Amino acid sequence: MNPAKKKNFKIEPFKHKVEMDPKYAEKTWKILEDAIHEIYNHNASGLSFEELYRNAYNMVLHKYGEKLYSGVVQTMTQHLREIAKIIEGAQGGLFLEELDVKWREHNKSLQMIRDILMYMDRTFVNNFNKTPVHELGLNLWRDHIVRSPQIRDRLLNTLLDLVRRERTGEVINRGLMRNITKMLVELGTNVYQEDFERPFLDAASDFYRLESQQLIETSDCPDYLRKAEKRLNEEIERVAHYLDSKSEPKITQVVEREVIGNRMRLLVEMENSGLISMLIDDKYDDLGRMYNLFRRISTGLQTMRELMTAHLRETGRQLVMDPERLKDPVEFVQRLLDEKDKYDRIIQQSFHNDKMFQNALNSSFEYFINLNIRSPEFISLFVDDKLRKGLKGASEEDVELVLDKVMMLFRYLQEKDVFEKYYKQHLAKRLLSGRTVSDDAERSLIVKLKTECGYQFTSKLEGMFTDMKTSRDTMQGFNATGAGAEGNEGPTLTVQVLTTGSWPTQSGARCNMPTEILAMCDKFKMYYLSTHTGRRLTWQTNMGTADLKATFGDGNKHELNVSTYQMCILCLFNQADRLSYREIEQATDIPAPDLKRSLQSLACVKGKNVLRKEPMSKDISEDDTFVFNDKFSSKFYKVKISTVVAQKESEPEKQETRQKVEEDRKPQIEAAIVRIMKSRRLLDHNNIISEVTKQLQARFMPNPAVIKKRIESLIEREFLERDRMDRKLYRYLA
Amino acid sequence: MIMVDGVSAFCDDLQVDPGDVVMLVISWHMKAATMSEFSKQEFSNGLQSIGVDSLDKLKSLLPYLRAELKDEHKFREIYNFAFSWAKEKGQKSLALDTALGMWQLLFAERVWPLVDPWCQFLQAKHNKAISKDTWVQLLDFSRTIVPSLSNYDAEGAWPYLIDEFVEYLRDIGVVHPC
Repeated sequence: MNPAKKKNFKIEPFKHKVEMDPKYAEKTWKILEDAIHEIYNHNASGLSFEELYRNAYNMVLHKYGEKLYSGVVQTMTQHLREIAKIIEGAQGGLFLEELDVKWREHNKSLQMIRDILMYMDRTFVNNFNKTPVHELGLNLWRDHIVRSPQIRDRLLNTLLDLVRRERTGEVINRGLMRNITKMLVELGTNVYQEDFERPFLDAASDFYRLESQQLIETSDCPDYLRKAEKRLNEEIERVAHYLDSKSEPKITQVVEREVIGNRMRLLVEMENSGLISMLIDDKYDDLGRMYNLFRRISTGLQTMRELMTAHLRETGRQLVMDPERLKDPVEFVQRLLDEKDKYDRIIQQSFHNDKMFQNALNSSFEYFINLNIRSPEFISLFVDDKLRKGLKGASEEDVELVLDKVMMLFRYLQEKDVFEKYYKQHLAKRLLSGRTVSDDAERSLIVKLKTECGYQFTSKLEGMFTDMKTSRDTMQGFNATGAGAEGNEGPTLTVQVLTTGSWPTQSGARCNMPTEILAMCDKFKMYYLSTHTGRRLTWQTNMGTADLKATFGDGNKHELNVSTYQMCILCLFNQADRLSYREIEQATDIPAPDLKRSLQSLACVKGKNVLRKEPMSKDISEDDTFVFNDKFSSKFYKVKISTVVAQKESEPEKQETRQKVEEDRKPQIEAAIVRIMKSRRLLDHNNIISEVTKQLQARFMPNPAVIKKRIESLIEREFLERDRMDRKLYRYLA
Repeated sequence: MIMVDGVSAFCDDLQVDPGDVVMLVISWHMKAATMSEFSKQEFSNGLQSIGVDSLDKLKSLLPYLRAELKDEHKFREIYNFAFSWAKEKGQKSLALDTALGMWQLLFAERVWPLVDPWCQFLQAKHNKAISKDTWVQLLDFSRTIVPSLSNYDAEGAWPYLIDEFVEYLRDIGVVHPC
């Protein structure tokens, strides 16, 4: 050693090799082999782990790994063969139990063997790409036990049979089942799947196919659904208890397919118990169950929806086309609201407020409400009824509720402009006869309409309210001048001044009024025109009312509330006791249909016949004579005879209104065409039609033929021209 | 201005009936504004344009002028010209009777099988004047749509009157409905 330098100690390995004597290897192996035997024979307690480990270690170290490994394989295989025979020999129910026991023992043995051979596992096995001991043990078990020809099928059949029996109500040993299936999973996913799961699913498929076939022939729909739900839950529980969790979606899919999926049509269409009768009878529970089950099938909800839609459309169609129902518009609309409520409740309670079902409901309503072209009129009449008397005394909340429901129906209408026309007419009558239940309710509805349709829709309606208020102020002014009061002698006049554009157009009304009335009217006219120069006033005699004090025989006094026309007629009887139809006609100059209607109310209605008609028939003929009914009597002092309330239109009136609507639509269509062409400059026919429809559909659905006519009219007036080359193209002419 | 009498005399000189379609062709060459009237300018310019300076030359040209109607393009121009020429001064549309007469005249030169039902239809269902658009589009219709209406396209943006005509033909069973 060199004292000058400090050096690290180095220990040199032995330079000569230490070889293991082959006889020694054989001896070592024998020790290990015996140990394995003892382990399998449950005699492991007498073994020394340390010694065995060292022996195995030595063998591997001295390059006898291969001998060790193949020896292990051979020994284990031999043992497993014996075990297989034992299991095969088990009778009946003991088969599975024996298998279970032996499996557990095998695992214990395997663990000990693995521990002993740990060094080999880490070195030799890795270096030579051999299967590690634990895995080797499982594979051997798999090949020599589970997949042995004598055991394999028997095992599967036993398992499937137990499942089948459990399905029919027997109680089975679930713990044992769990152990076996766990064993299969441990042996490898493919073992579990091929040797058990796939046949299990096939068997389930067959089972449920058969069962559902029988069930569908003997049960009604709700019953069937209940059983289906039960089976589904059973299978889910089965998996949780003794199958691998990955099997759950697979088995549920089988049940869904066999029990529900393949039977969907039959179920929903079942007579007297299927979807339709459930809907009709409001069977919330059954419907909810059907929804939850059908939701699992890809086309399940769609099937339900389609049938519900078809049913809704059909019942809706019958509802709106039923001539009986059409007699009472208010009842008609109420039925529609009831139907909507019913389905809203079903969708909420049973279908989890499913949006697609909501949409189906809405589209169905839109479909059948528009089948009847009188729907807009009837909805307006419904509103009129509510605002005139239906909502009397109702709380603000109730009013809002009803109005919101009306708005909901309104949204379904395709011909909103028709509704607007009728609504205006009915509103006018309500305002002028002073018969509205609540001004606030009226205003509230107008606000809702404005929100829905825009300012344009309601500006005229609001104009009507303004006129009423202005008229009140005007009357105050008029009365203050003293011109109104003629003492107790003359008539008292109340005037409402209507701005022509805002109120529904009336055909020119005329009649000859009594002189006293005329005098008052002229006084008012003078007063008004003095403060509003440049305006013109026309008396609308077909819209007014009058209160008359009448004295009958025996001093019977009554106050009669009549229309202006009726007042003119009755005042004639101040000068004569009997008058013929023609005399009345000549004196009053009232148009014939109105005259007949007025006379009918005065002479032919029980309890209101202040006139007697000769002859005593129901209808008015031009040869009739009318006599003042001295003997008229009534319980009430005030008798209402006028008929100025909104009613369902007669056929000719309906035609007239429809014609007006069609006329109103023409300029709207033209305006839309011009707007579109101004911005596009050049556009083809089909696109114009669709653009115009899009622009106007919030108010009404324009007819393509009408649009075409308007285009041609615009061509003639040189707003547009056709392209010279292509007939279908139109050009905007600046 | 040559007015009705003058035109009559002119026709006599030519030995042509005033209702003869060749008068229409001549009027077209003259770019006459109205039927049965020629301004001096129209008359002289027109004759100049067809290279004629005497009555005899015009007479001998008559067959040629008639033949012009056989030409597809010229016929179209003459047809379209006929509308403004035949209508009343100051009117936008052509009176129905006049229109029917013109159609009979024109379609005698280039046959359209449906001309008679068309005229019947108009008298029965329309009874109003004919707009320019309808007049012009009718020629297209007669040229492109076969008498059985099998290639009639309802989306073809034909004037409304023509759509109604098609419906009329189907109603009376002349053609089969699609």
